[in-house]
Amino acid sequence: MDSDVPVILTSIGDSPSNKESLSKALGSAQYVDDLPFHDLAYAALLLSPHARARVVNIDAREALQMEGVLAVVHCFNTPARRYNSAIRFYSDDSPCDMPKTERIFDTEVRFVGDRVAAVAALTEEIARKAAQLISVEYEVLAPVITLEEAVAKNAPLATDFGVDGTNICGGAVAYGNDTEESVLRQVRTQEIVHESHFHAARVHHGYIEPVTHVAAYDDEGVLTVWTPSQSVFSFRDVLSYVFDLPQSQVHVVKTIPGGAFGGKLEVMHEPVVAALAMQLHRPVKLRLNRKETFAASRSRHEALLTISSGFRVNGILVSQHVKSLLNTGAYAGSGPNTVGAQSGKTFVQYRAESLFYHGCPIYTNSPIAGAMRGYGCPQIMVAREVHMDQVAHRLGLDPVELRMANLLEPHEKNVLGKDMHVFLAKECLVKGTEMFGWEQKRRAAEADRSGSRRIGVGMACAVHGSGWYGVYQDMTVVTMLMNNDGSVQVLAGIHDLGTGARTILMQITAQALGLPLQMVALHDADTRCSPVDLGAQASRSTYIGGSCVLKAAKDIRRQLHEVAAVLLEVPQEELSLLSGCVVHQDSGRSIPFGRLVDAAQKGVGGSQRQIATVQSFASEMAVYSSSAVFVQVCVDTDNGEVEVRQVLSVHHSGTPINPALCEAQVHGGIHMGLGYALSEQMETDPNSGALKNPSFRSYRMFRSNRMPRIEVYFIKTPEESGPYGAKGLGEIATDGVAPAVVNAVSHALGNLMIDRIPLTPKTVLRMIGKIT
Amino acid sequence: MEQTQLVRFVLNGTKRELTVVRSWTLLHVLREVYHLTGTKYGCGTNDCGSCKVLIDGKATNSCSFPMHKLEGKHVLTIEGVRDNPKYRLVPEAFVRCHAVQCGFCTPGMVIAALGLLLENPHPTEHDVAEALSGNLCRCTGYVNILKAVLDAAGRMEEYTHGQ
Repeated sequence: MDSDVPVILTSIGDSPSNKESLSKALGSAQYVDDLPFHDLAYAALLLSPHARARVVNIDAREALQMEGVLAVVHCFNTPARRYNSAIRFYSDDSPCDMPKTERIFDTEVRFVGDRVAAVAALTEEIARKAAQLISVEYEVLAPVITLEEAVAKNAPLATDFGVDGTNICGGAVAYGNDTEESVLRQVRTQEIVHESHFHAARVHHGYIEPVTHVAAYDDEGVLTVWTPSQSVFSFRDVLSYVFDLPQSQVHVVKTIPGGAFGGKLEVMHEPVVAALAMQLHRPVKLRLNRKETFAASRSRHEALLTISSGFRVNGILVSQHVKSLLNTGAYAGSGPNTVGAQSGKTFVQYRAESLFYHGCPIYTNSPIAGAMRGYGCPQIMVAREVHMDQVAHRLGLDPVELRMANLLEPHEKNVLGKDMHVFLAKECLVKGTEMFGWEQKRRAAEADRSGSRRIGVGMACAVHGSGWYGVYQDMTVVTMLMNNDGSVQVLAGIHDLGTGARTILMQITAQALGLPLQMVALHDADTRCSPVDLGAQASRSTYIGGSCVLKAAKDIRRQLHEVAAVLLEVPQEELSLLSGCVVHQDSGRSIPFGRLVDAAQKGVGGSQRQIATVQSFASEMAVYSSSAVFVQVCVDTDNGEVEVRQVLSVHHSGTPINPALCEAQVHGGIHMGLGYALSEQMETDPNSGALKNPSFRSYRMFRSNRMPRIEVYFIKTPEESGPYGAKGLGEIATDGVAPAVVNAVSHALGNLMIDRIPLTPKTVLRMIGKIT
Repeated sequence: MEQTQLVRFVLNGTKRELTVVRSWTLLHVLREVYHLTGTKYGCGTNDCGSCKVLIDGKATNSCSFPMHKLEGKHVLTIEGVRDNPKYRLVPEAFVRCHAVQCGFCTPGMVIAALGLLLENPHPTEHDVAEALSGNLCRCTGYVNILKAVLDAAGRMEEYTHGQ
């Protein structure tokens, strides 16, 4: 907590509306597809119909002869450098963490939907027609479509990227506080040994804005790409590497994302539009349709988890082993990092004598997986929280009681010896139990199991970090400049995805400088004018970005005090900030910021200068947000349908800077978690590898008339190291939802063992033996 | 050569005549001919509602509405909502109720809400949830959107009585 800030809390804890929300609601905000360009050409992709094939020859003559066609690009006429689409630092080239597997176009296609070629034409219609006229000679290869096939003994290879003749991407992530063998032995020798398997289906982000990019290449040799990126500097680095251009000649503009959720964190087809724009010297736009967006973007890793635990009969966890296989699809992307992020969650929720995690990303000939809200966490949370309920049932303990006995305490050292800081998981659980009326609802549901419609009540706990630190280095940078009238311009590397990150960082700036919110302007990521940042990921924008703007604002404050001290002829220590002025408390004299800026420009207190600062902030602390989610469902045992009736989500994310925006984040997280639990899955044909449901009709996200009653509560205790006490929220908003739903369904069905999501009506009927 | 046809219609209060190709959708014309980009392309398959406009007062997906069937009809897009002081209460309620995040679905949601409120000025929460069930949103869980529509209903009522 920052103690020496102005005492009037005008901004922190208020809930101003999200910046840009009026222009968005009025339709005047421009997304990438809305930007006007002169002489725009339209691109279309030719996607692979094969799950695996070698591209022997491409004949584009017929396409090129079509009227209005401008260019065709493919693997035989574009740069062949391999890149990793998920890099964060430019130097990320470890073959374990960041295997370079992708090319603009490759001579081998590795999933149905992989890029084969692209056409640019005068209209989208012509481009799409021409793409179908490209004649491709394939040598079809045997694919490895499913995760089960890919991890079988002596499995055939899906790609030539795997390590040691396997389908493992990068290598296994395996560590704990003891050897794997010792941990497994300790698990096996406990009074209660429980093992469970869980399968979580591949799901899509379901952002409503389809994948869209624009590229232009000007006469000065500058490549500009407009894309709703979550990490513009990574995109710049990939593009400069692929095309061998200096980074100074690549400009990536983050357009307003129409939903992202991790799905726009990794480079997708930007290199394709760039290649076309560079060839044509005119702007080129590619907008995928929805079917293509499902097939040729990113998705959440399908997961197979096995959890083995040794408990004492009193419910104390002694030892646990987590084994995880994540289907990364045909290319590496962030596969190894998703496993890495998932591994961390093994150690930061429950206390135990020994814990071990063993996980691998696995290549298959299926659509690419990548970052998605939670980044490995929803998979381990659903598997482990369902496992916990099974253990509670075996021991005859209440699920809440079992968790209370094992959750880590604030400032407790976890099994890896790390301080948990202000980790209030138990407080969330206690509050939620009381608010939800947990015991009464459980008893009421259990009292009536007669009809075909069964009520179930379940809960789950979740944990998530704030930033990369602990797994990876994390830093961001902010430039802060005082305008002549005392208002302030902030150039921040952070990426607002519509979550309100900009608004929140503006509130922090306003608070630190004692300014009204409208005196602060904040521009987010743009490689040409904002300083560097690692992207909107890892629930880091508020904790890391907020810490950085606070640091910059403090430096601005110091500079303002310096000038004011000279003008007022008083020591700096006697000065404070209030409502856009530096105030000398004792004498009651004050000077508006604008006059101090002017004085500095005229050389008062030093050389002539602007009041400005560039500050870097590096995180050196892993802090954890927590949630406890409570759910009531009604399961219809006749048709297998699950109706979610009520959700309560209790959170600790430190002190909310903007409570209304925080609550709105949780609403969206719940929506995503409900779909994960009950209705969403990217169904792949196990033989052809083609997606069976690439539309919003057949890929079932919850609609407004299926949503339950939702309640959200925040425990507002500050995180000690957070900016005004805040820490991350974006991902934990969804992490604990699916397991709470699964546990509620299990409860409704008499504590039925559940080993998979989504629980579609068919799956439910199968589980209860109504169909085979 | 594709068949063309002259279509006369009213767009945001202005009379228009346009020669259209038979395959053109209303969405295509709004975005590419009139540059009214507030109406979004989300799916093109009639499933997400981001492209909703009012046609003769009824919320309709413009991505699946053939241009040649627009003869004589009145179209209101989000840009028309913006310029109408009563209708504008709906997007303003979305802002006030924190119902806008990424915002991509918002214009379509506003149109769907307006379509409902013009037909039923006093909807229940259930009515709103049903009326918006053709519009997908991935950010908000619809919670604040439902609040916003009920809030807008109240304000439109006040506005009407204040006239």
